[in-house]
Amino acid sequence: MRQPLLQLRDLHKHFHLPTAPFAAKPVLRAVDGVDLDLMKGETLGLVGESGCGKSTLARTVIRLHEPTSGSILFDGQEVVKAPERQLSSFRRRVQMIFQDPYASLNPRMSVGDLIAEPLEIAGIGTAAERRKKVASLLDRVGLPSDSAQRFAHEFSGGQRQRIGIARAIALEPDLVICDEPISALDVSVQAQVVNMLEDLQADLGLTYLFITHDLSMVRHISDRIGVMYLGKIVELATSADLYHRPSHPYTRALLSAIPVPDPEAARAVEPMQGEIPSPIDIPSGCRFRTRCPLATELCARVEPQLTDIGGGHLAACHFAGELAQQANGVTSPTKERTQ
Amino acid sequence: MSAPILSVRDLATSFFTRRGEVQAVRGVSFDVRQGEILGLVGESGSGKSITCMSVLRLLKAGGRIKSGSATFEGTDILSLDEDALSDLRGNRIGVIFQDPMTSLNPTLTVGDQVMEAVRRHRKASAAEARARAIELFELVRIPSAAKRLNSYPHEFSGGMRQRVMIAIALACDPKLLIADEPTTALDVTIQRQILALLKDLQRRLGMSVILITHDLGVIAEVTDRVLVLYGGLVMETAPVRDLFARPAHPYTVGLLGAVPDLRDDTHKRLTPIPGSPPNMLSPPPGCPFTPRCPHAMAQCMAALPPLFGAAHQSRCWLQHPDAPKVDAIHEVAA
Repeated sequence: MRQPLLQLRDLHKHFHLPTAPFAAKPVLRAVDGVDLDLMKGETLGLVGESGCGKSTLARTVIRLHEPTSGSILFDGQEVVKAPERQLSSFRRRVQMIFQDPYASLNPRMSVGDLIAEPLEIAGIGTAAERRKKVASLLDRVGLPSDSAQRFAHEFSGGQRQRIGIARAIALEPDLVICDEPISALDVSVQAQVVNMLEDLQADLGLTYLFITHDLSMVRHISDRIGVMYLGKIVELATSADLYHRPSHPYTRALLSAIPVPDPEAARAVEPMQGEIPSPIDIPSGCRFRTRCPLATELCARVEPQLTDIGGGHLAACHFAGELAQQANGVTSPTKERTQ
Repeated sequence: MSAPILSVRDLATSFFTRRGEVQAVRGVSFDVRQGEILGLVGESGSGKSITCMSVLRLLKAGGRIKSGSATFEGTDILSLDEDALSDLRGNRIGVIFQDPMTSLNPTLTVGDQVMEAVRRHRKASAAEARARAIELFELVRIPSAAKRLNSYPHEFSGGMRQRVMIAIALACDPKLLIADEPTTALDVTIQRQILALLKDLQRRLGMSVILITHDLGVIAEVTDRVLVLYGGLVMETAPVRDLFARPAHPYTVGLLGAVPDLRDDTHKRLTPIPGSPPNMLSPPPGCPFTPRCPHAMAQCMAALPPLFGAAHQSRCWLQHPDAPKVDAIHEVAA
């Protein structure tokens, strides 16, 4: 049995929005009670629409945001209330790859300095040793060795993302949080970066929390996938299970909305209606009920809990059991082909 | 077969920058037929947006159409003066851009902006324009249309803003709608709604649509015919089913192999296209895909291949009758 590396327990991150004097401050519940175990060496994909809280969750996990409540255990150690000076090992062992390779690299630093920066901050090695390490990291991410003297603007989007990855793995972390690492890249380059991330994981034993809105790529790269909606995980399963046996109506709607690069594939007849409600004003009961084709009076009253519907497949829906059975009977809609 | 509504021939557009001439479009020809959805697919820098911006004569500073022609319903667009152009744009050709937030004026209500589009090109009283705006909002399925006219763009979600953009583009019943990455900024469920809406409107109004996208999934779902662009050139063009069933250019094959198949449980490793797109400041003399192509031959470096084939065309020397046969690349019929 693999050990959990990261454990989130009832994690909340709420933002208090500015408002008129004396008026009650509206509360934006970006992350609204997330429980999640991330096992050593696995890739957990986190998907959901913009505004579902997936990026806030990532930022809260690395304590870029202070959580409102809840607990974050990293390798058994509580991270939430720990004072900054006790966090140095945590900060070294958890790294992040950001979405925008244009905005996340300082244009005035050479690539060598950019990659050496984390080492310098952590106080690792002499300047000469760091230069050697930078050279090996450049090689590791497939950039030419003369890159160290150049600047980020001289590189293409895909190459910049490689620089970002070299920075992230410089300290030999255990957990790498990838926040939409390929969304800004062209299709032909996305595959290069994804293959590299997979190689790095195999060689360095990394654990990935992979955040994306690209449902085809997340299926490809993840061992398990969590689906987020309005600050909560509504379904969590192995990636094959999630795609074959989606048991939350939101997951089903998401999957059927993916454009499949095959003109012969059957299309979902009706797109899901409506849009994600505001996280300031979350619906009572089940938060998906305002867009759900199955919603009943029960859903407005009682919030469904994330429960195991068999084989570690978790879903937060009153009808998850029935949906799972249905899915067992027929193959997923994208699998069928028209005649 | 119906006559083309738009004919573009040998269009070449360059941007003159401090670093030199960026040859964004290098001789693109295509027709848009009555009532069809033509897809333009390619990566950033392939020239797909610049092709359409050239047709609309909406090039940014430094951009110039060097040669070629664009004929819309018998009118040569490239020789029109500004007055005639603005009669064409928004009236007979509608446009939707990628980012619905920056395309709308934040200081005007969405109703004002739709009515402005109506009254810009049609003689209409304020009341008539308002009635038309409500009609358009209903057409693009914005709920409680009359009330929503008084909202400002920031009060709308991304999907709703894109609906407003579509309403504006359709204000004067255009014959042709150019949609430049209309769903790229949207979530997948909203993308699905907007694509369904576009397809439905296209059928009901009998418009032609040029859809620009980088997403092969979107291409497969909504288009009838496809142009694949790379390095400012058309690399392959085919009816959509043909393109996916019998790709005839190594670049198309590469693109299709680089995206994961959702239906595949085996976790096959992705096959990326090595390298990166050409620098359009000094594009190679031969086929621009040569440095990344698994089938590159000496001939590819030496000369730019012509488009081989008829209904299904491919710009690849492998299509030459005397070229070696390669299994992965389908042959096009002459």
